[in-house]
Amino acid sequence: MTLANLLAIQRLQAFEASPQGVQRLLAAAERNLVDAQLQALSRENRFDAAYKCILQCAVLGLWARGYRTPTSQPGHHQTTLQCLPHTLGLATDVVIVLDALRKQRNQNDYEGEPVSPAVVTECIHQAQSLLAHTRQFLQVQFPHLLK
Amino acid sequence: MLTDLLLGNYRKKVLSQLLLHPDADYHVRELARLTETAPGTLHKELFKLAAAGLLLRKEQGNQVRYQANRQCPVFPELASLLRKTTGAAEVLAQALAPLQPSLALIFGSVARGTETATSDVDVLVITERGFGDVVRGLHGAQTTLSREINPVVYTPAELKAQVAEQAPFVVNLLAGPHIFLNGTLDDLSQLAGHPAPASL
Repeated sequence: MTLANLLAIQRLQAFEASPQGVQRLLAAAERNLVDAQLQALSRENRFDAAYKCILQCAVLGLWARGYRTPTSQPGHHQTTLQCLPHTLGLATDVVIVLDALRKQRNQNDYEGEPVSPAVVTECIHQAQSLLAHTRQFLQVQFPHLLK
Repeated sequence: MLTDLLLGNYRKKVLSQLLLHPDADYHVRELARLTETAPGTLHKELFKLAAAGLLLRKEQGNQVRYQANRQCPVFPELASLLRKTTGAAEVLAQALAPLQPSLALIFGSVARGTETATSDVDVLVITERGFGDVVRGLHGAQTTLSREINPVVYTPAELKAQVAEQAPFVVNLLAGPHIFLNGTLDDLSQLAGHPAPASL
């Protein structure tokens, strides 16, 4: 499903992000990744911070392309992550893992299932590489958003 | 393999479809398509199985639909046999094989046999591989099974630590019931560092 199709069925909205907005969200993503590595926090909260970083990077991808997800809509996390091949050009097998992390978040948030060390490690690893990728992407393709 | 011997390949396919989806009812042609069998033979087979009380036969207009009969006295045993040898277990064991996990098992509603049409398959995988490797390995199986798979991944050392801490989630998980995909109850006891509870 293309971004234009998702716009047509109102899973996405057209949105023009300001450079200030983009830089603020990028800074928030960076802060979350730092927090995710604070050893004093529980695994669950470290996971949460890393997951937030991933979601914020995915939102940055949408913004850069001129879209956002209506946050009032159920499933907007899923939509945001599944747009990643179209927004930031991610490979499908990366998105599969990110989507599994989203499900882990639901399991933890809504059912209290603990987050295993393997999941925290994976989430931080994915957040690191996605953040680096997002920065690079913005610098190369949308440099005006970083000024 | 074992169920092929006991039931024959044809009956195994049909009964797996019906008994492992006991909430669903099927029209004969639909069932033939799902199990890749011939509708003609299937008609007779289903009629006999319904007469024996294992299936429910419902007439809806001029359509006949079949569904598993949960009230049949041997339903739980037969469904359990099929669950262990076909369906989810077989698909998942194959998907995980390339990862060579120390142990893998199904827990939760599918292992208890209380799953509904929308239940996830909960899978415990004990491995040194990362969560991402397991997710990528299992992804194709989600499509095959038409069910979401919820992998829980621990390294052998992490599992031991969780058991030592008596972490409620892990204690509960280890209490079973389980369907082993890779390894046995003995392996689980060894990995968990204590004899598994007798409730299995």
